[in-house]
Amino acid sequence: MSRGFNQLLEAVVRIDVREVVFESGARRYSAGIGSGVILSADGLVLTNAHVVSPRAVELSITLSNLERVGATLVGWDHWTDLAVLRIDVADARRRGLKFATAEFGDSAKLFPGQTVFAVGTPHGLTRTVTRGIISNNNRYFEDSTGVGGYETGAFNTWLQTDAAINPGNSGGPLVTEEGRVVGISSRGYLGANNLGFAIPSAIAQKIVTGLVRDGAITRSTIGLVPAALQDLESFYALALNTGVLINSVAPGSPAARAGLRGGDILLAIDGVKVDGRFPEQLPPIQNLIASRPVGDRLKLTYKRGGQTAEVAVMTERLESRVGEEWALEKWGLSVRKVSRTFARENQLSSDVGVVVIGVQAGFPAEVAGLSRGDVITKINQQPVDSLEVIKAAHAAYEVQPAPTLIEAQRDRRVSLYILKP
Amino acid sequence: MKRFCLLILLVLPWSVRAAPDLPSLMAERLKCVVAVEYFTETETERRPSSAYGVVIDVRGTIILPAAAVDPRVTPSQLKEFKVYLPGDAASAAAVYLGQDALTGWHFVRVEERLRAQLVPITRFVSEGGAVEPALAEVVWGIGLRNKDEDFMPYLLQGNVALVQNLPQRTAIAQQEVAGPGLPVFNRAGGFVGLAATSFGQTFLQFSRAERGGSPTMLINVEESSAFYVASEILPYLGRVPQSVYGRPLAWLGAYGFEPMDREVAKFLKLEAQSGAVVSEVLEGSPAEKAGMLPRDIVLAIDGQALPRFKPDRVVVSFVEREVERRQPGAGLALTVLRGAERVELNVTLGDEPKLMREAARSYYDRLGFTAREFVYGDAVARRVKAADGTGVIAHFVKSNSPAFIAGLRTDDWIKEIDGVEVKTFAAATEQLAKTESDLLRAEFVLLVSRGGETAVLRVKLR
Repeated sequence: MSRGFNQLLEAVVRIDVREVVFESGARRYSAGIGSGVILSADGLVLTNAHVVSPRAVELSITLSNLERVGATLVGWDHWTDLAVLRIDVADARRRGLKFATAEFGDSAKLFPGQTVFAVGTPHGLTRTVTRGIISNNNRYFEDSTGVGGYETGAFNTWLQTDAAINPGNSGGPLVTEEGRVVGISSRGYLGANNLGFAIPSAIAQKIVTGLVRDGAITRSTIGLVPAALQDLESFYALALNTGVLINSVAPGSPAARAGLRGGDILLAIDGVKVDGRFPEQLPPIQNLIASRPVGDRLKLTYKRGGQTAEVAVMTERLESRVGEEWALEKWGLSVRKVSRTFARENQLSSDVGVVVIGVQAGFPAEVAGLSRGDVITKINQQPVDSLEVIKAAHAAYEVQPAPTLIEAQRDRRVSLYILKP
Repeated sequence: MKRFCLLILLVLPWSVRAAPDLPSLMAERLKCVVAVEYFTETETERRPSSAYGVVIDVRGTIILPAAAVDPRVTPSQLKEFKVYLPGDAASAAAVYLGQDALTGWHFVRVEERLRAQLVPITRFVSEGGAVEPALAEVVWGIGLRNKDEDFMPYLLQGNVALVQNLPQRTAIAQQEVAGPGLPVFNRAGGFVGLAATSFGQTFLQFSRAERGGSPTMLINVEESSAFYVASEILPYLGRVPQSVYGRPLAWLGAYGFEPMDREVAKFLKLEAQSGAVVSEVLEGSPAEKAGMLPRDIVLAIDGQALPRFKPDRVVVSFVEREVERRQPGAGLALTVLRGAERVELNVTLGDEPKLMREAARSYYDRLGFTAREFVYGDAVARRVKAADGTGVIAHFVKSNSPAFIAGLRTDDWIKEIDGVEVKTFAAATEQLAKTESDLLRAEFVLLVSRGGETAVLRVKLR
């Protein structure tokens, strides 16, 4: 193999993660293995967001020379399934550990049929190299719960490869024969042969820059759910390759407040024409809106029936439906904050409340009758408008256990419950 | 010795009165029970159903239990009611009169020629009025075999194990004592109750309810061990519906009552009674007009504190029945707990808005779906204002039809047809009929809403 390829092999690491999970009504830990690639001499490692998330409590990196070193999370972005870590360089230096760094290639230049290699730790088998080709260089898929329950895929297309990608390959690089990183292996189809997917390096480079700079990627949204026009042009009396179909508008979103609705055709954003004839064209359009600053004003040109109109829409911050999680262990109750997105999706009247994600048998929450999916809206008559409210009530209970009144909603039914010591 | 004689003297007259000839009692009482068969005609199928009924008057009126008819079916889909006498293969025609909201009974009236052979249940009420069966008392009733055995009658008998308010006074016997909807008698032949439908196999399984869920029930659909006692039946026999839709129907407009459990009652210092939490107050409803708010806890009706029930959630049916037993326009005084404060609400009950079963509907076989008029309940289910309730509902979507393949599903809300906003049901049917009959049409486009999200569906017809 090329010198570049050999150097790349020295830059691929195994990542052992211990993370906290809250689902059982208590704080529990689970362990996982993934792969990563070292990007810089100061120890930045790129991996998948579904390998390392903010839930990680312990990160251990195994370098190509089999030495282990600690690391910390720099930031993650579940939308692109990417996370950046930093190796404890001081420790590595003290111990005289050396590692190589990888270089990015240009994913835009990949062509179907081009040979690529996946390097990583499938099923814990470190430094495994598999070979394949680029099967498709512009694959579209979205997954609303793809990264540990978080949404992914709306803002990028993916590389598809037949290089074997197995669990544990996640976060490892997809490289050319020269050892240039053109993608980050992310997932495969279960039960299928050699249908693997990777995030293109062009996307990854931008995300790394953003995560290193800000620790997070901030995106904007206006609440449009686009769909490909594909042959509906004649119905909407449009020229081919013109506009994108607005399939749905999130209730209460900026677009909804501006009067847009499902069935409208978005023709241009700030005068720049958009073309959403095919599904593969949707992520860049979504990204166009997402990459604008929060609170920015967009001028949308749209068509409804025979009329074309313009409307100004102010962007808001894009939120996941998955809110922050916590375990209230004395009650055997784990909860997740209701996010704005969750509230809209579930047609809740507001984002006040926490969703029950787990109860532990025999503990007060379970005894009172709470169960997974209930939305706790009040505790001791106080609205639960932040996780802090319920944490404070729990802290008070820890000091002095006393019956605690809970108001919760299941579907649309409101019930009262008492958490009893 | 003297005491022994006295005992015998006391027992003797009782045993003489309490042991009438059961075969003759049963033969006589068979005249008040019938089997009723009817057909349900939906868009694509026609299926027979049968149920058991009891005769309530000399005009051939018969009541069937609530579960005799699928609640999703509209009365116009119910066809060819026939009444069979037990053990007789011949049938007589009957008409469907509608369902009563309070009792849930469906009323049917049989044609003239059969009436002479029928005896109303009221004939078997004990002298001096209906008596409640005592614990451990022996009760008996009639079961009917299936149609293939000519609804042949058979005897069922058991001891009363428990009598409970659910909220109707309900007796539960040790084993099955009658076919659902059929009468139960005491040993003297007096009417003591009407068997409940598909009730729990045993009272134990019924009363151990999961909170929020339905009670656990093992169901024997052809026999029942539970019966509503006669005092829950006789006062309501006159509730023959004035219309096939069961109107007039009183309307409160408080949605989703949930029981206040024991622990909550204790916390709120209301141990002696029960309460019902109001989940939502519906737009424009009598409850809203009277000032009711979501999360109010109903504590009393007309000054009477809500009684305690076992299990707790029975209070929900209790409150609902208090509304159902009243007429539109009647008053309902509610005491509610709001935060720490008791508030008196004087509600004037309204007329129930048009129900789904009353909504107009129209089936398009080539397109593959039924469009139904959007009614108030649809607005409630979709959390939109009734005024925004334009469009129609896909009430039924035929499998693998063009509409189905395009992604249309039952209960989808169709807001636009071919890019034109659907303003009324008439406008929708006009447009759909035109599309249905235009054999040259290659496709049409629907904008539908499901779970708050919309989607454009392209229905290919050719």
